[in-house]
Amino acid sequence: MADDDVEFSAREGEVHALVGENGAGKTTLMNILYGLVRPDRGTISVDGRQVQISHPNDAIHLGIGIVHQHFQLVPSFSVAENIMLGREPGALGLLRTAAEREQVGRLAEEFGLAVDPGARIRDLPVGMQQRVEILKALERRARILILDEPTSVLTPQEARELFKVVRGLAASGRTVIFITHKLLEVLEVADRVSVMRKGRMVDTVAVRETSVEALARMMVGREVLLSIDRSPREPGQLVLETENLSVAGPGGIPAVLRVSLAVREREILGVAGVNGNGQAELVEAIAGLRPVDVGRIRFLGAEVSRLSVRQRRLQGMAHIPEDRMRVGLNTSTTLDENLIVSRYRIPQFNRLGFLRRGEIRRFSESTIARFSIAAARPGGGISTLSGGNLQKVVLGRELAGKPRLIIANQPTRGLDVGSIEAVHKTLLAERDRGAAILLVSVELDEILALSDRVVVLFRGRVNGELSSADATEEKLGILMAGGSL
Amino acid sequence: MTADMRRRIFDNLLTPILAIICGLIVSAIPILFTNKNPLAAYAMLFKNGFSFTSFRSANLLVTFQLATPLILTGLSAVVAFRTGLFSLGMEGQLLLGGMTAAWLGYAVQLPPLIHPIFAILAAMAVGGLYSWLPGLMRVRLGVNEIISTIVLNNIARLFVLYLINYPLRADPSTTAYSPMIRASARLPAFVPGSKWGVGFILALLAAVFVFLYLWRSASGYEQRMAGEAPRFARFGGIPSDRAAVRGMFVSGMLAGLGGAIQALGVHYRMLDGFSSGLGWDGITAAILGQVHPLGVVIVAVFFAGVRQGAQVGLQFAMRIPRELGGIIISLMILFVAADKLYRNGMDRITARKRRREGISSGGL
Repeated sequence: MADDDVEFSAREGEVHALVGENGAGKTTLMNILYGLVRPDRGTISVDGRQVQISHPNDAIHLGIGIVHQHFQLVPSFSVAENIMLGREPGALGLLRTAAEREQVGRLAEEFGLAVDPGARIRDLPVGMQQRVEILKALERRARILILDEPTSVLTPQEARELFKVVRGLAASGRTVIFITHKLLEVLEVADRVSVMRKGRMVDTVAVRETSVEALARMMVGREVLLSIDRSPREPGQLVLETENLSVAGPGGIPAVLRVSLAVREREILGVAGVNGNGQAELVEAIAGLRPVDVGRIRFLGAEVSRLSVRQRRLQGMAHIPEDRMRVGLNTSTTLDENLIVSRYRIPQFNRLGFLRRGEIRRFSESTIARFSIAAARPGGGISTLSGGNLQKVVLGRELAGKPRLIIANQPTRGLDVGSIEAVHKTLLAERDRGAAILLVSVELDEILALSDRVVVLFRGRVNGELSSADATEEKLGILMAGGSL
Repeated sequence: MTADMRRRIFDNLLTPILAIICGLIVSAIPILFTNKNPLAAYAMLFKNGFSFTSFRSANLLVTFQLATPLILTGLSAVVAFRTGLFSLGMEGQLLLGGMTAAWLGYAVQLPPLIHPIFAILAAMAVGGLYSWLPGLMRVRLGVNEIISTIVLNNIARLFVLYLINYPLRADPSTTAYSPMIRASARLPAFVPGSKWGVGFILALLAAVFVFLYLWRSASGYEQRMAGEAPRFARFGGIPSDRAAVRGMFVSGMLAGLGGAIQALGVHYRMLDGFSSGLGWDGITAAILGQVHPLGVVIVAVFFAGVRQGAQVGLQFAMRIPRELGGIIISLMILFVAADKLYRNGMDRITARKRRREGISSGGL
């Protein structure tokens, strides 16, 4: 059961934040309000009247609008065409582009959401696209607006713009339900906040009367350390170096352009940036999964850009991929077989071409113990493990050979607070052991908490580098948006 | 055995068993059209397919012999499918393997024991190469293996027909077949007068080999990972392309072995109508047998028994057309493919059971 006995109410003219960890039931609750999921029992009321919402159309009629985390826009259409889609003015199937744009322009002005009605969606930055989504909901007379993780794709500056818009909407008497897992945002934008945990509503409190620590405690159900102790270390010799690296993305479009960076022993280099600015391609090129167009990758002093994945791994590269379900793990096989994917040929696990199952089983047992992987059994399947435990399986495998370099791409994506803490501690311990770590993340909190140095990727290029002492959310935000300091 | 394993085995057996039951129920309709009692017909069918009275006259042993090539083409399909390649080339590989063995069976002179071993190894090499080719084309050129193996099947069939019609034809007056192999090349039978012999043992050994290869060797591990989760395999550094090509070669070797056993132990030559769709039936046996060697052996024996029982029991004794055997098998395949029909109901029952257990134990 995703949600159980959840009581939730939002008032007119308020910004109501809904927080909770992944899988706490926030999205299910909102899908019920938007008619995408039917509740097993219980009631929904709008304006004090009990209503039935069995289809998104019902929700729209009741004035409920939603902006999904992944935008539902047609990239090749203009702003106005997207907003008026399915409700175009005009008769006989003819479009009246000018009237459409005028109407959208008025709407944008009314709400103070400056946007060019004639611009194509695909040419707009993400923050602007989000405005279009909000306008789309407002055009359909939404009085209750649900924003699902709206800041996950924004730079801090864009997020602040959004908060202004949200406050403005509330001031005009609308209700905004703001779903997030970032607690600082809650304090910044919301009037009240509801906390969910494991499908239940923990509490609803006024933002004025709470704190980040209190919210975190409610969310996780126990005391959490929000900041981790990170003592500086003296970096050692150079481990990874890229020189003028250029890499093509899907479809041959250049995704990484002349990137030069270096990571040393006992150092975490953070790579910040809004998602989709070349991070995935950079990581894949270094790990050996994507060919290098131009430039060099040097690992422990030797050129490796033509080596296979296996050769790089044998030399001491480890890789924690972004997509652990399809790339980092094979969820249809056993824990044992997942743990040996990069090492099934070494003598420890292989004799005369046959797998040494006893040794593999022992390795499996020790990994479960070392990383306290709950609910996992040696030889058992992994498809039922939670995200946090799956990530521990990945860590257990990748860190087993005492790697010299760890490429960690979004290592805490989708994990709960407790697991995030564990992953962060593990990475810091690896750094202290002497590993060089390339940490790619779109979560600035994570970058700031772990990195010794930070580079920012913008449209495939390095747009600035900061030491951990200089790096602030503010400065990184400017660099992430393509600006300069 | 853990509860987890028991559940897995149960789940794997459930679909085939339910499919067999459904197939038998629906097959009763055509039997009723012949004005015969379906239950009597089934009794007759199973008696003639699977009964064992003595080694001299056991229907089961004939069934084993008929199942032998099916087991091998089925194993061939298992190895290919577990690499994630949907190869349909068993028919062509079996024919070329059989042709190779039949030709070497009469064209060369070797001592007994050496002769069949040599012919079998050559047949396996030819079958392997004929499967390696579409594997290589897939990996290097991106040629869809479904299409290439179907085309290669036709080429093999026509090529073999050409050989036995012209250069290797034994007797111009009758249907096309190649000369009979030498006595030294024959695979011995266990019971004089029958053809149940060494071939069946080879098929069982091959099943054991496939299990060890896929689930115990590093090569098999590479192959399965590349098949089940291609992105994971690449990420981990598994040479997936090499594993795929190797898997195709092993797959072809097994089908080639099937052809050699038919040529050296059953027909003693290559002839028109050598295969009668053994490659295709092997693919079906692989799917019905949950793409596992043990499943393949069971399904192949079952298929062979139903066919044999339909022919001897129904056609000869009850005057029900033997095509009924084919109908029953086809219906069972249909019910495996349509497992949602009864699976949904089963899942609901197990879910309800689990929920009840969960509540009584106080947990969620």
